[in-house]
Amino acid sequence: MTVSSTIMPGAKGAADARWIVRRRWARAGLVYFFLLVFSLVFIAPLVLGTLSSLKTDPLEQPPRLLFEQLYPRNWGSAWSLGVKGSGNGFMGGFSVGADVPFSLSYLVPAGASPTAPIVTVSRRRPGTTVVQPVYAADYSKISPVTVSANTPALMPDGKTGRLVTFAFHVAYPKPATGVAPHAERLPVDVASPEGYVFKSAPLDPTFREQNMIATPERPYTYPRSQTFDNITPGVINYVFRNYVRIFEQTRSYTTGESLFLKWILNSALLVVLVVTSTVIIASLGGYALARFQFPGKDFLFIFILFTMTLPGQVTFISNYLVLRDGIWGLSHLWGQATLLNSVIGLWAVMFASAGGVFLMKQFFESLPRELEEAATIDGASALQTFVRVIMPNAGPALIALVITTAQGAWNQYFWAAVVLQTPDDRFTLPIGINQFQRAYGATGDYGLLLAGAVFSAVPVIILFIVFQRYFVEGVSFSGGKE
Amino acid sequence: MSQATLPTPTRRSRRGMTERTREALTAYSFLAPFLIFLIIFFVYAFIRTVFFSFTDYNLFNNNVAQHLGPITVTTPPLVGVSQYQTIFNQPLFRTALANTLIYSITVTVLQTFGALLLAIALNQRIQGLGYFRTAYYLPSITSSVAITLIFIWLFNAHGTISYISGFLSNHSGPILAFLGALVVAQVLQVLWERSRRLPAGWFDPVLLITSSLVALLAAFLLYAFGVVTVGTAETPLMNWLSTRDKLFGFIPYPLLFIIVQNTFTTIPTLMLFFLAGLQGVSKSLYEASEMDGANAMQKFRFITVPTLRPVTFYVVTVSIIGTLQLFDQVSLTSAVSPLESNITLAYYVFNNVFSSAGFAKVGTASAAAIILAALTMLIVVIQRRFIVSDKGVS
Repeated sequence: MTVSSTIMPGAKGAADARWIVRRRWARAGLVYFFLLVFSLVFIAPLVLGTLSSLKTDPLEQPPRLLFEQLYPRNWGSAWSLGVKGSGNGFMGGFSVGADVPFSLSYLVPAGASPTAPIVTVSRRRPGTTVVQPVYAADYSKISPVTVSANTPALMPDGKTGRLVTFAFHVAYPKPATGVAPHAERLPVDVASPEGYVFKSAPLDPTFREQNMIATPERPYTYPRSQTFDNITPGVINYVFRNYVRIFEQTRSYTTGESLFLKWILNSALLVVLVVTSTVIIASLGGYALARFQFPGKDFLFIFILFTMTLPGQVTFISNYLVLRDGIWGLSHLWGQATLLNSVIGLWAVMFASAGGVFLMKQFFESLPRELEEAATIDGASALQTFVRVIMPNAGPALIALVITTAQGAWNQYFWAAVVLQTPDDRFTLPIGINQFQRAYGATGDYGLLLAGAVFSAVPVIILFIVFQRYFVEGVSFSGGKE
Repeated sequence: MSQATLPTPTRRSRRGMTERTREALTAYSFLAPFLIFLIIFFVYAFIRTVFFSFTDYNLFNNNVAQHLGPITVTTPPLVGVSQYQTIFNQPLFRTALANTLIYSITVTVLQTFGALLLAIALNQRIQGLGYFRTAYYLPSITSSVAITLIFIWLFNAHGTISYISGFLSNHSGPILAFLGALVVAQVLQVLWERSRRLPAGWFDPVLLITSSLVALLAAFLLYAFGVVTVGTAETPLMNWLSTRDKLFGFIPYPLLFIIVQNTFTTIPTLMLFFLAGLQGVSKSLYEASEMDGANAMQKFRFITVPTLRPVTFYVVTVSIIGTLQLFDQVSLTSAVSPLESNITLAYYVFNNVFSSAGFAKVGTASAAAIILAALTMLIVVIQRRFIVSDKGVS
């Protein structure tokens, strides 16, 4: 798509110069346009995944880009209803003493006096949870449904009708005897009378029943029932419902503690351990390869490059056995019979990286030799020189190494799948999220899945955006310059 | 600087020896932690895998007495090369090998060409590259688990991809009308410009912008007057994951899913590699060639291609090595896809040890692992040879 910028012989000077300038501008504009389009296309899966992780049903058809959880109107209602339900505007809930006002507006055909919809507090079990939930239905009391507003309006087919608002309260009276536990949600089901078209409520309904089929007398469709998953959600619990669920609903069958939280902690621990050991070992090794002359150096260097390309599947059987036996019984020193199913074991196979040694070697070779020479003259040993003179000057390479290593450890899937197999609470985040997929993918609960995937991706994305320069440097140190 | 630190000539030769051994000792002590790690988890592991590939080891039969002449050792039962014979006769292994090669070649070709074309199209001095670079790198730094799960969701039979394809097929009328009008308008405009003796190319940017506006209007009018219509067919459900069907009879759809996902997430990064390579070409080279009357095709053939050769070679070999080791995505879709529809060598090895059914077939797995290692090494050797010859030329 290159444009020839040569001027045809015989063309007129000034006009042609303008012609060329115009083309240059247009070409720049097109390039930017395509850059933008491509960048949008390439981040579309991440953006769509992130957006849809907020949805109640990420598999809805047609997929919407704007949905209830993104409307500020609902955020306000979620906050105030959360406060009314439990005094907590963030997480909501339903506590003793609460008195929650709610209303529903319908378009009602003209004629008969309005019939109130049937409102019930439902006993739905929240997804998959081990802990027996507290059902709001057992403690709540619904007031009679009354008409609070009644104004003329047009029906969807253009005939005259009325816009009727029905109001009711759900209260949590203090029980005469026994305890009054806090319920996490207040689910409400509404069945509207025949011919009523649902218009609005303080919160948008979570689900609507399939639309009624249009008839010649009534040429529009409308749902007969509205389901509110929680009318006292609180703003966090409303917008980030799936994110709250991954912490709340994935509990260990044995200990009852939140598995997702445990996986995050395991992953974080792994990152800290792997980064620490890799930085120390790679700096020492890279420095030795960059500065010292010793027999076997060239062979060693080629050998390190060779290990970088060897797939982990070639070495994992032996490594699995070595870890099973606690590295020949070494782990008995700190009281572990085996290193399988432990973050320490995973750390052992990820203890150092050939890529890291390579990156540091490349960097140290670029440092001026005068740095060490001054120190050597002062009589410092090699290790002292390294710690006091070299390392303080290795900042950029160290940051690149820390970042790429942290990213690799946080995302590591294969070795985690080998080492961490049982029980669930030993997993790191990638293995745990895959467990989610096996558990919830089949039931179509993609909200939990996407929330887990996005949650695990976010730390790396933040790291990348903040330290972008060093990421690119890491690539060019270890990859591009072969 | 004191006198004592300057050694006399005689002492230098004596100390030179110790100096050299001391330096070697220091070097090895610096390298020791890394070497211990390498020896345990690479050297020992690799040797053991080679050894296991000649045995019938299954994690339990470790203590069979072997009489090697006068020496008796207890090892897993030795079976010679029969593991290699077994796997090559095994349909699942052959499927895994075929899938690995199909995947490796397809992805390498697709992403190299895709990235190269994008880079050439976008080769401009670009302001504000920061935003674009972030956007282009994001898919490739995100964990394979997160991105694969998002893709599983996108490619679900009831997912977004099904919806988009349904939408496109229903709107194919207006879309084709737009494209047709675009081509007609562009051709007419270019011919008119040329009749005015102006050197307009077929992709002239100014004309392209006006053509697309005209085409948009034309498509809208055709739609408004009912010449082209929008279909209302139900969204067809496309099953990418839980199927044994194959595209063209040899690419199983679950493997195609991984191909699409990986190509998609890697193209942007590779494109930036190529873009860096292209921007390294000095402008004066192009200007000089224009003076000599080279056309766009010749410039591409004689300047762009040679400049990009090292980058391309690097990208291709790294891509082949990486794709031969495909594991994560296969493992992640194993809950929804049939095993033989996307099994790869790497997953075959893992699955033989950790499959839920039966004993861990370590011997079989090791033989397959050695095949995988050999394939990888082959590419590495080719890469080394070519890179050496490349350096020899330049």
